[in-house]
Amino acid sequence: MKRRTAIRQLVVVAGGLALLPSCLSGPGNAAIKLSNIILSGEQEKTLAEIAGTIIPATDTPGAKELGVHLFVLKMLDDCYEKDAQQKFIKGLGQADQVAKERFGASFTKCKPEQRQELISDIENKASLPAEIFDFYQIMKQKTLQGYLSSEYVMTKQLIYEMAPGRYNGYFPVKAS
Amino acid sequence: MAYLNINSIKERTFDAIVIGSGMSGGWAAKELTDNGLKTLVLERGRDVKHIKDYPTANMYPFEFEHRGELPLAVKKENPVVGRCYAFGESTAHFFVKDKEHPYIQEKEFDWIRAYQVGGRSLLWARQTQRWSDFDFSGPARDGFAVDWPIRYADIAPWYSHVEKFAGIAGNKDGLQELPDGEFLPGFPLNAVEDYFKKQVSEKFKGRHIISGRCAHLSRPEPVHLEQGRGQCLSRTLCNRGCPLGGYYSSNSSTLPWAAKSGHLTLRPFSVVHSILYDEQKGRASGVRVIDANTKEETEYYAKIIFVNAGSVNTNLVLLNSVSGRFPAGLGNDNGLLGKYVAFHNYSATISAEFDGLKEFTTDGRRPTGGYVPRFRNVFKQETDFLRGYAAGFSAHRGLDRDTGGFGTELKENILNPQLGPWRVGSHMMAETIPKESNYVSLDPDRKDAWGIPQLRISVAYDDNDEKMRKDYLAQFEEMFAAAGFTNIQPRNKPMAPGLDIHEMGGVRMGKDPKTSLLNKWNQFHACKNVFVTDGACMTSTSTQNPSLTYMAITARAANYAAEELKKRNL
Repeated sequence: MKRRTAIRQLVVVAGGLALLPSCLSGPGNAAIKLSNIILSGEQEKTLAEIAGTIIPATDTPGAKELGVHLFVLKMLDDCYEKDAQQKFIKGLGQADQVAKERFGASFTKCKPEQRQELISDIENKASLPAEIFDFYQIMKQKTLQGYLSSEYVMTKQLIYEMAPGRYNGYFPVKAS
Repeated sequence: MAYLNINSIKERTFDAIVIGSGMSGGWAAKELTDNGLKTLVLERGRDVKHIKDYPTANMYPFEFEHRGELPLAVKKENPVVGRCYAFGESTAHFFVKDKEHPYIQEKEFDWIRAYQVGGRSLLWARQTQRWSDFDFSGPARDGFAVDWPIRYADIAPWYSHVEKFAGIAGNKDGLQELPDGEFLPGFPLNAVEDYFKKQVSEKFKGRHIISGRCAHLSRPEPVHLEQGRGQCLSRTLCNRGCPLGGYYSSNSSTLPWAAKSGHLTLRPFSVVHSILYDEQKGRASGVRVIDANTKEETEYYAKIIFVNAGSVNTNLVLLNSVSGRFPAGLGNDNGLLGKYVAFHNYSATISAEFDGLKEFTTDGRRPTGGYVPRFRNVFKQETDFLRGYAAGFSAHRGLDRDTGGFGTELKENILNPQLGPWRVGSHMMAETIPKESNYVSLDPDRKDAWGIPQLRISVAYDDNDEKMRKDYLAQFEEMFAAAGFTNIQPRNKPMAPGLDIHEMGGVRMGKDPKTSLLNKWNQFHACKNVFVTDGACMTSTSTQNPSLTYMAITARAANYAAEELKKRNL
């Protein structure tokens, strides 16, 4: 993708999303309507930053800019058992707590390098409270799913064809 | 009469009544109205108009808030329909939810239903292989059920008739066991499917791989354009309803065609309680309908009645049609109504990988796949089980994504997936033997919300099914190995009868009124102006997906009925 096009798209996407929190989110509530889990606006921001650390903005938007953390929340709220939901919320809190203990700041206030250090520790199964891993497993899986199936990726990056109108069973693989 | 008689009897009188608007009901409607008969089609569910009532048809994956998955609460509330492969966020509105229409499972049976205009014709897998004489002569040769009263020659012209109108994509394969039909261009096999086809034909005599014939307009003919349908664009989003009319459904094809004739009256929200029998005249006179919403009862009258309520529900309506002449259900002099129910055995799959042909992949999509016609016991009995199985066979290359780590590297990796190896897969589709012990009946006490007895279903696998499952896995493991496939994974796929959605029988055809309910024209032996032409009429099941045969049998019976009416024989 051409860099200039990508930046323009990033601006469009980010601009669209910037409207979301102010109209939907009160100080104590998540930006989307949730039926089974309770999440504060602050926790939601933490999720956004974690999503953005897993899939960051580069010359194209990352998971945070695409609002993928809201998809994660929607799926957690509707498609998971209560037990998994509770572990997720607990693990999210614990991750933030680790950030505070280690860096003296909540995850949202941490520097990018500090966020990356913490996520790296979780990825590497460092010695951390168990629920952090329960939380992270769902968080990462749904972040990947939400990102790859986002409108941006499906229309600008890995194009989804609604009506291909063709089938080639001998499509040559490009030697690369 | 108990109901408020706001319409005159004349306004409620038709030449023909069709109960059900799905796969076979749509065909009955078309053929009867084409013959100039004033026809009432009764549908218990809501109306679904082609295109207009396909709310998800043009939605992109990201427009579904759960990306196609169903919320846990929906899954938990719907253990039965929740097991159906086609039940998802994009299609749930076309399925009956478990709670709405309870039934009693004497043995575990997943009854998958779709109560709306078009019924399950919106949701079918669209595979359309003809039966051959080896199928129709099966019960007589192998000594089970009763002899079919028809042979391939009786139905062949009607297969042609419905194929031309519905539009069937396929190739002339020249196989005696799977006769060719009237085909639009077939969809191609891919590199590895062709490779397997060649390997199998060289190493296993009498076994074939073909492109599955399917009800898709690969190249529409004038008759399809006249229906307002267009070319299949390989969206493979079929179960949402196709806005192009690319595949055959009652909604896109036969029902609007029948409506154009001016002879059709379609009445949704009409739950048929029973068929009325006139003791004096010795014939059925009409049907009793309960309005699904108001629960008001109304009677409709006609000279002939086609029962196309969808196999098991057809049994229910007939069992509930009691009269002085037929105390055990319409036409049920021999006590066999509801018995000899059978289905298809889909309880095994096998997958593998192939290391070759890496210079190719596939591009685009395709609404069908490879099909392996039955090769066991076709020309003579040669195994320790009766009958045989067909199978699906498809190959594809998936995309492998490295999802390790996080950050820019992860992002780069997932946006640049690598082509995986060729993966192949197959599933079995086996004939089951109809038995008296596999039956449906009415519960003496429990009723549904419309005061109609609930259905009890008692259908199970037997030893023959188990032997076939083992044989399928063994034969395909051997064929996969012979083709050089690796990582071969045979799998049992435990599933209750019913989930195949090919339930059949209960009102079987036959030559002898003592051992069957319907004659060779699908008329009740004992009540000639009532015809059953959906899956309930099936004497045996063969292995092919049954819808095409229901359509052909329906068209044949409807034209016979119309002729007999004209001759004043009915």
